[in-house]
Amino acid sequence: MIDLITPHSIIPNLRASSKKQALQELARRAAELLGQHERAIFDVLLERERLGTTGVGHGIAIPHGKLPNLDRVHGVFARLERPVDFDAIDDQPVDLIFLLLAPEQAGADHLKALARVSRLLRDASMCERLRGADSADAIYALLTHQETSNAA
Amino acid sequence: MEVTSSLILIGAALLLISVFTSLVSLRFGTPLLLVFLAVGLLAGEDGPGGIVFNDAGAAFLIGNVALALILFESGFDTSFASYRLAAAPALTLATLGVFVTTGLIGVAAVYLLGIGWIPALLLGAVLSSTDAAAVFLLLRVGGITIRDRVRSTLEIESGSNDPMAIFMTIALVELAVGHLPGDAVGIGLRFVEHMGGGAALGVVGGGLIILVINRVRLDPGLYPVVSLALALFVFATTNVLGGSGFLAIYVAGLIAGNVRLRGGEVLRRFHSGLSWLGQIVMFVTMGLLATPSGFPAVAWQAVLLAVLLILVARPVAVWLCLAPFRFSAPEATFVAWVGLRGAVSILLALVPILYGLPEGQMLFNVAFITVLASLLVQGWTIGPVARWLGLVVPRRRGAVDRMQLELPGEIEQELVAYAVLDQSPVARGQRLPRWARPSLVIRDGQVVPFQRARQLQAGDRVYLFTDPRTVPLLDRLFAEPRDLDEDDRDFYGDLVLRPETTLGTLAELYGLPLLLKQADRHLADLFRQEFRDPEIGDRLHLGQVDLIAREVVNGAVTSIGLDLEPARANRHHVPLLPSPAELLRSLASLRSRISFRLWERRQRRPGAERR
Repeated sequence: MIDLITPHSIIPNLRASSKKQALQELARRAAELLGQHERAIFDVLLERERLGTTGVGHGIAIPHGKLPNLDRVHGVFARLERPVDFDAIDDQPVDLIFLLLAPEQAGADHLKALARVSRLLRDASMCERLRGADSADAIYALLTHQETSNAA
Repeated sequence: MEVTSSLILIGAALLLISVFTSLVSLRFGTPLLLVFLAVGLLAGEDGPGGIVFNDAGAAFLIGNVALALILFESGFDTSFASYRLAAAPALTLATLGVFVTTGLIGVAAVYLLGIGWIPALLLGAVLSSTDAAAVFLLLRVGGITIRDRVRSTLEIESGSNDPMAIFMTIALVELAVGHLPGDAVGIGLRFVEHMGGGAALGVVGGGLIILVINRVRLDPGLYPVVSLALALFVFATTNVLGGSGFLAIYVAGLIAGNVRLRGGEVLRRFHSGLSWLGQIVMFVTMGLLATPSGFPAVAWQAVLLAVLLILVARPVAVWLCLAPFRFSAPEATFVAWVGLRGAVSILLALVPILYGLPEGQMLFNVAFITVLASLLVQGWTIGPVARWLGLVVPRRRGAVDRMQLELPGEIEQELVAYAVLDQSPVARGQRLPRWARPSLVIRDGQVVPFQRARQLQAGDRVYLFTDPRTVPLLDRLFAEPRDLDEDDRDFYGDLVLRPETTLGTLAELYGLPLLLKQADRHLADLFRQEFRDPEIGDRLHLGQVDLIAREVVNGAVTSIGLDLEPARANRHHVPLLPSPAELLRSLASLRSRISFRLWERRQRRPGAERR
């Protein structure tokens, strides 16, 4: 995950009352981080949700999309203060969101990043630890630790 | 009078015991049929029951009628849709598969039992068919959902291979006693006459049943009786005319069961009840007839034969028969494993006794032990094996409490009653579609018109009139939510997509390969094009991802899963029954590995000399 996120791209307690609001907040944070238009990011995410929900179950969502003028795949991780209804496949409310934005010409990298995030968040104990972590740094450490231990 | 009453008493008591032990056996997952067989054995001459029943003729008669009823019901209960899915592989198994199994068991029996070729092949024929009752029961009552294609193949095979096994058994017995000249052309002609006649008369009989039930006005209580009488009539007439009565009654059931019949639901229940009765009677009778004190003499040979049947004969037959069809290794392995033998084999083992063959009793004992072993080993493990092979379709929805009532008259509508379950979409405020025509709600014992019921609550029962084809859509609204588990993600993929997503959109988003002329195709069309009749779990490979049919309603894929790392789904590195192509590939890779090793060794040798 090290190449997808930085300590700045972790939001440990996002306030949102709906799916739309959660996506808006995430788009705002991503816009700040990447120097892009908030609206453009939000539209891309909505577009993707229209193809089918990215709420993969167990309270987890992986919204994603493609943006022009990005250098590489970027991620933003948010933990919601209160779970929101995300039309997830298991109808459960969502409280962990990993946003992925890929450059227009990302090709297979987009898929690879998505697969990695999906695999990481499949791990039930990982999700429990993410929910229990007390700071952005702790979350960052959890997300990236897995990666380094895998590489080792 | 005394004798009659005690006979009835014994019969009724055995039935009751069988039915009630079945309750217990469901708890422990014991194959039910084994329980029935055990009841018969315990009641019989060597068990505590001590009933002496040695009339092979009577047992054969009872077994024949019972088997006829079971086959009628299995035809009645098999939809043409399953035939469309699985007819070719299933019928190959039912014909070629029976031949191959007979041959292999025959070879083994010659050496194991030290008997001549004809009695050995006879034993092979007796053991060659899978048991319809056992397969149906274990696949349906077992509480697991297996992919349609695999289940249909097994069910159709088990329903249609009995006539074949019966023909071979009788032909071989006649050969043994010298009634039949060993003339291949003669036997071939008789085979054609037997099967062709059976199938043709079955079609006629099925038509007759439909005609009588739908055209003749009778007291409603008489329809089940008429259907029973007609079915047995078709069975017996065909036998008398020299065709296969069992094939005829199966085909008649198949045809009648796939047409809208007056009071169809009642008929279905009636025949399902009769089929239960048939199974219990058949297994208990066979258990009663057996003399376990004769078993030890052939025990180890029979057990070894059972092992060979399960691990060699059946897998080889399945592998040969399924090679031309698209079955994955786990699927073929599962088909091989569900080669359950049952009462039909025991019934057929009576034929040599009835013909007075000297080896008759011994063959019967061997067949009995083999069936027992098959029911024990295969019957008990179907569920775990299906799970191990990853063939169980995870249920994506929780329970639904639904009742369907057919309406009189010719309309294509049904009265459907749903209980509103806690946490189901309707209980959480989801509106019912207008086409569902909700008409009334029963709430706290009061009938409330739907318009006045407002929001549905848990505990309500809703009655609606709808086209039966829409029921799967309604089920979604009334189902309890269900927790996903890890297997679901393996089976259904990571993300979901709507069926109307175009291939172009998807390819652009994820950088997938794409043919330009396909860019506007909907994903659902893609499935229809590839599978014609897609079913849940079907996978399409698209570059490095897989698309999976997550939901299928009336032949159209309505929800699609996206598996980002399809390799993960292949957790089974045990392709017990690889397809020929896979086998070739692994042989090729083995060869290249071996030649690489040899090359390595040759390279090392001069080095060793230098040292």
